[in-house]
Amino acid sequence: MSRDSDAPPAPVAFGRWAVPLLAEQLRLPGRDVRLRALAALIDVLRQPLRGPEALTEGFLQQLKVLLEDEDPCVRAKVCQLLHVLAAHTCGRQALLAASFLPPLSQLLEDPPCRRTVFLLLSRLSLHSSGRVSLLTLLPKLMKKLQEEEEEEEDEVQVLFLSLLRCCFQADPEAALRSDAVALLAPKLSNGALNICKAAAAAMMALSVPMGGKVEVCDQKVLPAVAALLQEEDEEAQLNATGVIMFAAVTTAGKLQCLHLNVLPVLLKLACDRHEDEDMRRRRKPLVMNSVRGLTMLAETPEGRRLLQDQLPLLRRTSEEEEDVDIQRVFETAIQVVTFTP
Amino acid sequence: AAARDRFQKMDGGRMYVFSSRPRVVEDPWKPRWSPSERMQQKHGNIMRDPRVFRGIASSQPLKFAVSPVLFLYLSHNQSRRSKTGQEEMFSPPFGSHAESYLEELSDIPEVKETECQTDAFLDRPETPLFLAAKTGKDAATQIYEGDLFDFEEEVQPILEILVGKTLEQSLLEVMEEEELAALMAQQRAFLERRNNELPEVHRLEEQERRRREERVQQRRALEEEKEVAEKIAARALTQQQLADLVPSVLASLRREGYFYDPVERGEATHFFPRLMDDVESILQKNCRVRELLDGQTLCFICCSLWFGNLVCFWFSNLECGPCLRVVQTE
Repeated sequence: MSRDSDAPPAPVAFGRWAVPLLAEQLRLPGRDVRLRALAALIDVLRQPLRGPEALTEGFLQQLKVLLEDEDPCVRAKVCQLLHVLAAHTCGRQALLAASFLPPLSQLLEDPPCRRTVFLLLSRLSLHSSGRVSLLTLLPKLMKKLQEEEEEEEDEVQVLFLSLLRCCFQADPEAALRSDAVALLAPKLSNGALNICKAAAAAMMALSVPMGGKVEVCDQKVLPAVAALLQEEDEEAQLNATGVIMFAAVTTAGKLQCLHLNVLPVLLKLACDRHEDEDMRRRRKPLVMNSVRGLTMLAETPEGRRLLQDQLPLLRRTSEEEEDVDIQRVFETAIQVVTFTP
Repeated sequence: AAARDRFQKMDGGRMYVFSSRPRVVEDPWKPRWSPSERMQQKHGNIMRDPRVFRGIASSQPLKFAVSPVLFLYLSHNQSRRSKTGQEEMFSPPFGSHAESYLEELSDIPEVKETECQTDAFLDRPETPLFLAAKTGKDAATQIYEGDLFDFEEEVQPILEILVGKTLEQSLLEVMEEEELAALMAQQRAFLERRNNELPEVHRLEEQERRRREERVQQRRALEEEKEVAEKIAARALTQQQLADLVPSVLASLRREGYFYDPVERGEATHFFPRLMDDVESILQKNCRVRELLDGQTLCFICCSLWFGNLVCFWFSNLECGPCLRVVQTE
């Protein structure tokens, strides 16, 4: 199979005849011919301004037919071609309009095409209409989450989880109805850091609606999230603080977080000063998430008590901070801490 | 003679080269320029030109101006040869004296004879290739390095196109990637902003909800308390009222006659009604009798009156009407 995918690409005509002639070759019955024509098409359409040439109706329909070809190499190459086409906005719109999603969703099970299909779907999700269309795939993705095998590579899993995150952001209610939190929870304590990060991001998207928050507290997800908070990686910390921030809105969440001793960690993250401008800009979302988490936790009596001890530190950090948003967030936190009924 | 020529050129001590185009020698007997045939110049036989040396009829070698050294050498050698008849090493002429300056003059030139004859039995050699004698002028050209083709110049437009196209393509590819990255960055920025505001909103909502619930609970608690207090007050009040209820009830009942003596009641309910009914019937009978009597009397009075009316009517036309009317009215 690798020999076939390295076959030399078919000769390309010059100018505007390139794509139509290669498209003709795609119709021929021979498998090798088709493979070579596909390889040549990928090369041609990868050149910057030639992508949209291929967006005619007939061509896309033909590609759809080829997606269901029996040969996995042909399918993989067609997926690559679609991925190249999806780099342009008009390409993405054409793909969405031509309803490529059903055959693509079937290809999710296909090992050689899986990665490319995920990349393609993540490109399609850059549009809001794309995200809406991706929601139709949601049942299938949830089923896939359920019956996940362990042999998949990390990269494919990370792509899958980021795709899930897009779907959850678009419509968390539907995901919650299909029991997403329970299915996602094991991934948080999975081995690789990338997978944990991506799972935490998906969980953050799920915990935005109220039902999600309740489920997150119920399903005992927070211990794994607190463990993720201790990691050194910035993105992991960001996602973990996001989950905590959303989950701590409910009373149960607050209590669980206090039990898990999350407060000192959040305090450290919030008040840690860096001199470098870039670092500070990068850490801004992290700081904001931590301070919001502290605000949530300060609404409990115990949290308020703990934070009143740290009030000078909070005030000092708020004064030193130059960014207006962070200052505002700190002020809200101080207000909540000093609130007396 | 060759040695002589060479030495002649070294006259004056330096080499010189002279060359000129061969020129047609003008015929001295003809005028130089005639108006009719300007271009053509008749060239006469050059051997008839008096300026050309044709040689002397005698075959003596000629004497030209010779440098003294050469002259000495020549004369010396000649005298030596004539004496010994074989070559001898050159000896400087200055050693000998006057005799070396002597020269022998003779009429008989030195003659050498040679002859040549091809071998009778050799094959005829091949005819050499006929190469026509070269006519015309020789011309030669030489193209040097930078004349026709300058690589640096020619390669410039090609290089420009190649480099330009490559740069353009790479720029476009980078721009496409940047576009995708910008889209994703925009999404991320939007998510960040949302994540900034959303938890605050949720927190405040949650706070509101909690406070509302607390208020509802408090209100319910207050209401319950109020109810309880009211109930207590009502109970106290009713107790107070009901305290003297019982005697008053008993008194009123007694008053109403609910407490009775059974014998008395028995007499009252059974005995007296019968008694009264009997009394009533007797009285009714009496009444009836009296009524009948009254009726009879009334009937009689009425009949009598009626007769009277009849009579009166007969007499109404008479003048005693009014007195009867008075009787009637009585």
